[in-house]
This record gives sequence, structure tokens and C-alpha cells, in this order.
Amino acid sequence: MDIDDILADVSREGEPQESRDLQELTRAWVAERVAPEILPYPDALMDRVLERIRRQIELVEEQTGNMDPKTNFRLIVIQTELERFKFLVRSFLRARIAKIDKHPLHILQTASTHLSTSESHYITAHQALLSTHYHSSFLSQFPAALQRLDDTAGGISMVDTPDTDAAVFCRALRDVGVISVEGTERAFEMKRGDCWVVRWNAVRERVLAGEVELI
Amino acid sequence: MYGELGNKLVQHAKRTQSLAHLPPYQAEIVRSVTREVRDLDKDVSAILEPFAGSFDPSAEPATACALLVNHLCMRRNKRCLLAYHRVRSDKLEEMCWSGIDVLERQQQQQQQQRSGRNGGESGTSLGAEIGNTSSLSPEEEEYVRQYSDLLAAYKGQWTDIDLTGSLEPPRDLFIDVRVLKDAGEIQTEYGSITLTKNSQFYVRQGDVERLIAQGYLQRLS
Repeated sequence: MDIDDILADVSREGEPQESRDLQELTRAWVAERVAPEILPYPDALMDRVLERIRRQIELVEEQTGNMDPKTNFRLIVIQTELERFKFLVRSFLRARIAKIDKHPLHILQTASTHLSTSESHYITAHQALLSTHYHSSFLSQFPAALQRLDDTAGGISMVDTPDTDAAVFCRALRDVGVISVEGTERAFEMKRGDCWVVRWNAVRERVLAGEVELI
Repeated sequence: MYGELGNKLVQHAKRTQSLAHLPPYQAEIVRSVTREVRDLDKDVSAILEPFAGSFDPSAEPATACALLVNHLCMRRNKRCLLAYHRVRSDKLEEMCWSGIDVLERQQQQQQQQRSGRNGGESGTSLGAEIGNTSSLSPEEEEYVRQYSDLLAAYKGQWTDIDLTGSLEPPRDLFIDVRVLKDAGEIQTEYGSITLTKNSQFYVRQGDVERLIAQGYLQRLS
């Protein structure tokens, strides 16, 4: 830890929790939209944000009853901000659902801890629905050996997986040291503030640790 | 034979991806492909029967090759069927998310066709033909029904957010809208508004988003 990090930490603590949450939510939203794999669900952050949205909605509802909306400028600002927050959360959740729908079996097998409780309910229920649908449509008349949906025989896995070699844009939030790209000779040093285009699997761990952010 | 029909299904699926609506379910082809798989499977067991479980591929390369071809065809057919059904169910899910009531639309279509046919006084094999006009298979209808329930359950946990809302970043809190179809009275936080055709309003976007998506209102820029 050098002087920059200490300064960063100090200036960070000066900020109120609310603005830090917004920053975190935006970061999570961008990362979720960019990363090829599903990322861990930010439980605590979402709880705080949702709680705050609920409070703001209550506040708006209380205040609209007794005042003329055209003159109540403060309320308009609150509502606009509220809409923006709702958009962030909605877009974030939809990005996750899109990934869940795209690679359900892969996520169930490898990353089920990254889901929130309701997302796990959704994925299991959805997967059950899909397989009943396949079964009642045609699969039930197949020979028993061919009825599985997660067959790996013959060298080809039926389970579709996300492309972890996909390139992502990222920025280092602090000095992270040398990153070597698997399967190639390339290795480079990543310093705080650096921006790189790099394979997702090379920076995956760093992103999860919060040392690198996706942009 | 040997995957030809499966290929047709894949072509149908490919075409479906670029269509706005869902073309009729190819029940006949699906049945034929399934039958093909069963026939191939029977062939395989027939070939294997004389060996009574002690088949050695290296001793009989010709038979092994026949088995391999049959086996690969079955797997291929399975993939084609899965792909076809997945494309269609994806499409149905998309409709559920965007708030289109697929089943209601199906019923409307059928009713229109029924009334059209009654008007034309040609009601001989009515029942059978109406059965064909639905572009969903019975299994798909069931799937849509259950998926809507699932979606509603998931959405219900995020009542404040409205998950199926617009994915465009919001710019203005209030927008101008024109009413395209009579939508009756809606309740907003600023009181109720009666939406009659051709009138214009300056309303909160969040209150009318649903109606815009359903085509009752048009947003004026």
C-alpha cells in the first residue's frame, strides 16, 4: 500500500454511504452487462438500494397528495432520481436473467452460488419447465439412452458454456501486478488507472476481487 | 432418412429467428424426425442382436461403421429437435417479457378465422381446420402458461422496480403522449385521467409505460 492508496481510502471514507452505493451499483451493472459469465449477486448492496428505493417511493407518495406537482420542484428531482435508480436495478437484473436463460445448465452446475435466492428459484423452475416441455414434445419417445439433456458422450458436451475467452475492456483500480494471459506468451503489468482490452479469463479473478473494474 | 428432415427443422428455426411472429408449429416434421430416431434405434438393436452383447468393433469395422452412422444421426436429430423447440420457446419467453399475451392472441386469431369461415358458409371440416390454425403446439401453450406464472412470481418480488419496464435509460420524468385507442380511466399519483382517443396528455412516464407498450398510447417526442 503506498501513499496513493491511503489517500484514496481517506477520500473514500468522506463520501456518504449513499453515493458509494450508487457507484457500486453502477459498477456492478456495467460489469454484469460486459462480463460473459454471471457474477456474484451483491446481496448487501441490493438490500440497501431496494430499501432506499422503497423509502423514496413512500416519501413521494406522501408529498404528492397535498401539493401542486408543478411547483414542487424538489419532488421532481427526487422522482427523476428514483426513476434512474429503478432503471439501473431493472437493467442489472435483466442482464442477469438474460445470462441465466442463456446458459442455465452451466450456471446450475458451476456457479449456482452466484445467484440470489429468487434467481435460483427462477432457474430451477425454468429448467424444469423446459425439460418437461421437451419431454412432452418429443423426447419421451426417444430411446432411453438419448433422453438426457446434459449428455457429454462422444466428446461433445450438450451443455452450452459462456465464452470465457471473450475480450473485455477493463480498468485497474489499484496496482495489481503482472497479469499473464493463459495459453499465450503475453504477460503485462497492470498499474492503477491503466485501461486494457484483455481476455475475460485473464482478469476474472482480479475483477471478482474488486481490483479491476470492467468498463 | 438420415437427418434430412432434421435439417428442415433447423431451417425453420433459423427463419423463425428473424420473424416478428411465431410461424405454425411443424408437428408433422417433428413427428417424422422422432419416428426416424426410433427406427434408427431399432436398426441399431437389430444389428447388435446376433452379437449378444459381445460386439468387438475392431473385428467388424463395417458393422461398427454402420452403427456409428446410425448413432450420429440419432444424436443429430435430437440436436435439431432441441434447437427447433428452444428457438420457439425463446421466442415465446420474449413475448411474455414484453407483455404480449400469447394465448389471448391465439384465441383471437382463431375466433377471427372461425367467424370469417362462418360468414363464408363453408363449415364442413371446421373443427379439424381450426385445430390447425393455432401456431402453437398444445405443449407450447402449456409452456407459455407456466412460464408466465413463473415470470409473474419472479417479478412479484421486485414490485418497486417493475422488471418488465423499459430498458431505455429514462430521460424525462414527464412525457407527452397521444391516445391511439380508448383506454378508459387510469389512476396516477396526481389523480385520475380519462384516456379518450386522439387526446393528448402530459403525464409521468412510469404511469403510462405499460399502455405505450400495449399500443394504447403513442409517445410524442
